[in-house]
Amino acid sequence: MKYRFIGLFIAMLCSMATFGQITVKGSVKDKGAIPIPGVNLIVKGTGTSAATDFDGNFSISVPNKNAQIEFSFVGFTNKVVPVGDKTVLDIVLEESSQALDEIVVVGYASVKKSDVTSSISSIKGKELQTMTVGNVAESLQGKVAGVQITGQGGPGAQPRVLIRGISTVNLSTDPLYVVDGIPMGTSINFLSNNEIESMEVLKDASASAIYGSRASNGVILITTKKGKAGKTRFNFDMSSGMQLMSNPYNMANAESYASIMNKAYNNSGYADYLSNPSQYRGKTTDWWKAGIKGGSPVTNASLGVSGGSETHTYAVSLNYYDSESIYEVGGWERVTMRIANDFKFSDKFSAGITLNPRYEKWGGPNNWADFDKIDPITPIYKPADQLTGLENEYSIYARSPSYVWNPIAAVKRYDDYTNQYNLNTNGYLQYQPIKGLVIRTQGSIEVGDKTQSIFRPDFVIDAAHEKAEINSVERKNTTNADWTWQNTVTYTKTFAGKHNASLMIGNTMEEYNSNDVWGYGEGIPNNSDSMRELKAATKNRRSDGNSWSSSLMSYISRFSYNYDAKYYFTGTFRRDGSSKFMDNNKWANFPSASVSWRILNEGFMEPAKSVLSDLRFRAGWGKVGNQNLPAAVYQSNIKQGFYPIGGNVVDTSFPDTMANKDIKWETVEDISFGIDFGLWKNKLSGSLEYYQKKTEDMLFKKQFPTYSGFPGYSTIWTNVGSMQSKGIDLLISYKDKKGDFTYGVDVTFTTVNVDMLSLSADGERLYGAGNRTLTVKGEEPGYFYGYVADGLFQNQTQINAHTDEHGTKLQPYAQLGDIRFKDVNGDGKLDDKDRTKIGSPWADYNVGLNLNFGYKQFDLVANFYSSIGNDIVNENIKDLYNGASLTNKVSGLEQMAWHGEGTSNYVPRLSKDDNNENYTKFSSFYVEDGSYVRMKNLQLGFSFYNKFGLDKLRISLSGQNLWTWTKYTGVDPEVAGGDPDKDDRVKGSGFGAWNYPVQPTILMGLNVAF
Amino acid sequence: MKKNIFLFFLALFAVLFTGCQNNEAGFPSSEKPTVVVATKEIYGAPTRKFEIKATLADDLGLKSIQIQIPELSLDKVITFATDPLLKSYDLSYFFEIPANRGTSEVFKIKLTITDVSGNSIDEDINLRLDGEFAAPAISMVSPKEGAVILLSTSKEMPVNFVVNDDSGIDYVQVKCAELGIDEMIQLSNSPQSYTFNKTYTLPVTAANYVLTITAKDKFAIPNTGTLNVNIVATNEYPAIYLCDQPKGTNLTTDAVGVPMYFHEKNGQDFEFKYYADKDNKEVYFLGQESDFAPHCFGLNESGSLTDDVASAPIVLPAKGYYSIKVNPNTLVYTVTKYTPSSKVWADVANGLWHDVEAQRRPFVSVCGAGIKGADWDTWTAWVQTGLHLANNPNNPYQLVGEYTLTGTMEATFTGQWWSPSWRLIKNGIATMSPGENGNAKYPAAPGIYKVVLDTELERVFITKK
Repeated sequence: MKYRFIGLFIAMLCSMATFGQITVKGSVKDKGAIPIPGVNLIVKGTGTSAATDFDGNFSISVPNKNAQIEFSFVGFTNKVVPVGDKTVLDIVLEESSQALDEIVVVGYASVKKSDVTSSISSIKGKELQTMTVGNVAESLQGKVAGVQITGQGGPGAQPRVLIRGISTVNLSTDPLYVVDGIPMGTSINFLSNNEIESMEVLKDASASAIYGSRASNGVILITTKKGKAGKTRFNFDMSSGMQLMSNPYNMANAESYASIMNKAYNNSGYADYLSNPSQYRGKTTDWWKAGIKGGSPVTNASLGVSGGSETHTYAVSLNYYDSESIYEVGGWERVTMRIANDFKFSDKFSAGITLNPRYEKWGGPNNWADFDKIDPITPIYKPADQLTGLENEYSIYARSPSYVWNPIAAVKRYDDYTNQYNLNTNGYLQYQPIKGLVIRTQGSIEVGDKTQSIFRPDFVIDAAHEKAEINSVERKNTTNADWTWQNTVTYTKTFAGKHNASLMIGNTMEEYNSNDVWGYGEGIPNNSDSMRELKAATKNRRSDGNSWSSSLMSYISRFSYNYDAKYYFTGTFRRDGSSKFMDNNKWANFPSASVSWRILNEGFMEPAKSVLSDLRFRAGWGKVGNQNLPAAVYQSNIKQGFYPIGGNVVDTSFPDTMANKDIKWETVEDISFGIDFGLWKNKLSGSLEYYQKKTEDMLFKKQFPTYSGFPGYSTIWTNVGSMQSKGIDLLISYKDKKGDFTYGVDVTFTTVNVDMLSLSADGERLYGAGNRTLTVKGEEPGYFYGYVADGLFQNQTQINAHTDEHGTKLQPYAQLGDIRFKDVNGDGKLDDKDRTKIGSPWADYNVGLNLNFGYKQFDLVANFYSSIGNDIVNENIKDLYNGASLTNKVSGLEQMAWHGEGTSNYVPRLSKDDNNENYTKFSSFYVEDGSYVRMKNLQLGFSFYNKFGLDKLRISLSGQNLWTWTKYTGVDPEVAGGDPDKDDRVKGSGFGAWNYPVQPTILMGLNVAF
Repeated sequence: MKKNIFLFFLALFAVLFTGCQNNEAGFPSSEKPTVVVATKEIYGAPTRKFEIKATLADDLGLKSIQIQIPELSLDKVITFATDPLLKSYDLSYFFEIPANRGTSEVFKIKLTITDVSGNSIDEDINLRLDGEFAAPAISMVSPKEGAVILLSTSKEMPVNFVVNDDSGIDYVQVKCAELGIDEMIQLSNSPQSYTFNKTYTLPVTAANYVLTITAKDKFAIPNTGTLNVNIVATNEYPAIYLCDQPKGTNLTTDAVGVPMYFHEKNGQDFEFKYYADKDNKEVYFLGQESDFAPHCFGLNESGSLTDDVASAPIVLPAKGYYSIKVNPNTLVYTVTKYTPSSKVWADVANGLWHDVEAQRRPFVSVCGAGIKGADWDTWTAWVQTGLHLANNPNNPYQLVGEYTLTGTMEATFTGQWWSPSWRLIKNGIATMSPGENGNAKYPAAPGIYKVVLDTELERVFITKK
């Protein structure tokens, strides 16, 4: 900077000495009216140049009125302005997202986008901030090719993020999130989208191998906002609105419910269940209206201050997010603060420290399905004649014969909340002894405290089925203290003008320590709020506690080289040592290599430069790992339990999990080929990539063979099996401007094909989701596996024809209107062997469409996301269409269900007994096309610049998830994985039940900068 | 994308391939298939399965057989595998005649056999519904199932039964290997009814015997009926029953408790507790459960206990509970009226679930199987108010009701959450909780039954209404 001043000073002296020269002054700002310091100004055709100061102001001499000044700055489009008669110029530079000299974070370093040789997608924070979401990954949906995101409804829910498919069947599929260089695990619920400057998705192994053993699901690097030199600036961003919740089903009223159930009973040969349905007319209990809010508020607000001088920059932000639940109680609240300070002590020394205190509180009922399932005849409260006056406030509710617990009462009793406090301290010290050599050390300490408090009041709604005879209190406290320390030395040099090389070596150390303590007690004297403490418990006090720890030590290196900005090579190597593995396999190596050919810079491409602005080919290879298994699987564990032996209940110990001292990493080897292109000054740009990932030594939890003598429930982790995913990522982007009208279109297209290459034994069949999915060699994992429902029996001839070759009926209990199950193997029997593949939870492709338009002060953003070709198991029809249960049914079911030839070929006849197992046999009857197209976001904004004493004021109106097209009849087509506690994360994907839906949301937004 | 391209080509080839199959160019021309049916006329009857038997053959390969009876909604196609080609096939296809068809109806079964070259032939078979498939009915007069022959009284075993059959009886056979009985009576002229009556002599040793009676009819497709009768030859009565039904009553039509099993036994001293529901109630003691013969204990002309089917009943003078002791060997009995002291479950009507036992107003319903509306869930027992038993206004120790039985039944009479409960075990005993384990199964003809739970006697009586 100092030299720029000297240059400017000399230029000014020259200009003063030159008669007839004109001095032009002014300022340079971005579109948000934020001054840009350090913008280069050159008077075209002369050697005169200047630069803007900290406040974006400049002053430059030009020879005459015909002179033109060119303004240029990294990340912005160059602008040439004729001087004319003006002596003051206020310039607005527009950001150029396609600029090739844009800086991209690549893991332990940053490089120019043009130097990137691997598969990295970069998203700017402001693109993520157009949506109001609790978890920023949700606003990433559809914006990055190769990333499949499945939203999850409910306050604090975490979406499923799959980067280039899946590479594991039994471990977590979530990517690793690295915030400001520090690995932060597999969730970023703690981060406000307003804190984010940019996000980089490392998609292939050549990009992510630098994160070694945790990178097999991909890595997402997040850079938070930092201060910029210049005057102090304040930003206030707020969006607030309502999350809408309408009943996804039109449920039967009391009279209709009685008729439907009577029909089911009559069809099975029973008398009416509820005689004379008309007596219930007008007596419907509207459970939904009584307990579910049509709209629940959501607010996302952020107040930021940033600025600084040449030697010190700072950014402080206070962020608040609050999302209420759809019930009377519950929600998720998050308050975070980020205080970032960066210091430049000299040209050689610099340092920085970021403090990030956070508070989160969450909790809420999860029984919204019960509001639909409970029968509409039962009243909310017990009738007066059943009350004795001695009941407590939780016992005045009525009991439903449908076996569904009174949902209003359940919400009333709800008291299960978690409070979490964290503080992350992240600091670095950087030393540059000579030009090109940077020595950097960075450390982070994360401490956290999480307390879950539960109180369950005593109540008696039904003495046999719905009661808690004694109240109880429970509290669980988990604390963690983690630290990370990483040291790198980077040397960058250009040889002979054309050989550009950079070498980084370093090491990292990480340690994660946690412990928990749990207390439980019963018999609290009363249910009042003030008594909800463990100390008040009078009976059955219990406690428990544990601690666990893991650590990782690594050596890292990266070598980058390019020749004349044409031929690029990057190699990385990481050696990880993990506490999760024993000596034999404690250390593992994760290498990668990638090359790129920027063909456009070849001489023979010179004629094409009028059209092409970028063209390069990339290829990459790398190895990454997955070590996301429990911390101590190399140890055998004994479990304690009570078992009856010889008529007495005995406190026993038994082998639970067995040690495998040879356990090692799950390894993913990946190759990737890509082409990046830009045309017409990057108006049209994009990239196309093909990848193939192969997982070896997959981690499986296996049972012991019976001859080993271990009990059947004892398990051991082993490295067996392999799988492969391959696919194509495509991004096409078009941006242009016509007068005051600017527009941009981004299309992302993602395909993933996953196949199991081998399992632990030949012919092994891994079942999931209660034997409803199957994973076998040569197929995609976790496909739906069941009977084929071949329509309904419409007439007696069809029933009579459904026999084996000797006339034995395949479905002896079938009646007209029941499902005809297919004898798939044609053996004349309907049994387990007739189960087959009946659907796939995996999409054929995902498409994202992102549109943005600007006209003068108006801006409009629209984001669409689609998943095409996947199936979903609609589990809810088991409740909604099935006469065998007493739960409420959908309105009009009598007409929907088969009631005569040709009336339906889908919903079977109503039946109390379901002897044909229409609903208990898992069949294609449950499988629906899960494809959908969803408008994720539509936002209209209007900005004022330099009005009302503010630099910028923007107001916006937006709607999220307002429109969805799908054939799926369940609650929400965004259906992710299964229960990880049952190893069903992958094997139980695609089961749609009463998932908390991704809610349509209407929001007002306000952005102020001054 | 790749998948879509693959699917496109797959579909294209599938269409092309299907096209090839349709013109059956893949198979050369051949002779027509042949069929030989086992019979040109099949007898059937409503609700009964009949069998279509035929042998199919083709010189090249069979493709399919279609079996059609349009009037009976049968249109079945059996398609044969073509790799390898099937040259012959033995058809054996069963089909059940719907219940709503008349026995005089006649249908044509049309068989269409097609070979892989596209040749087909038809074959018709007559189906008559006037077939006779009922086995000859054997009606035992003596001994009845479970009969007890007291060897000290008599060693003779009269065997007397009647056989009936619409199509005429071919022969009757009586067998008992242990007793060396193997008697076969070939009947001439095929009578529709035949009575067997013969007395056999038993050895003196106590033993259990099985008498097997077989009868065969003369229908075109003969039917055979068999009946096994278990007989106990003993020097002591294993059990004595109290019967309050008039002589001649069929004692096998009730489900539970008639006649009533004894309460206590010591050697041959049997003790009953019994409730006489009216004055001058007449009772007998029976040596067997299912019949008044051969051992029926009543009074002789002199008023003493005698083992005689023709004896007069013992009369209990007044309504109420009695303790009755009887010894069938010494022929001594005593009758003592008593006042029960067990808990009265009289306030069962309008029962109410309540968590606090003191505030609970009990009810008694039933959980079980074979009882319409009941299952093993006490909540069902509560909500199905038709299963609730009511107080007997004349006897606070009895709870009464009316159940529809659907077949073999088992039951536990229960209040809220099995408290109180009476488990119905064997011999009609309703053991109060905790009591004995093991619900007994009682065969019962579907129908409406009167139910009496006597909490003093801990007995259940379920009698056909």
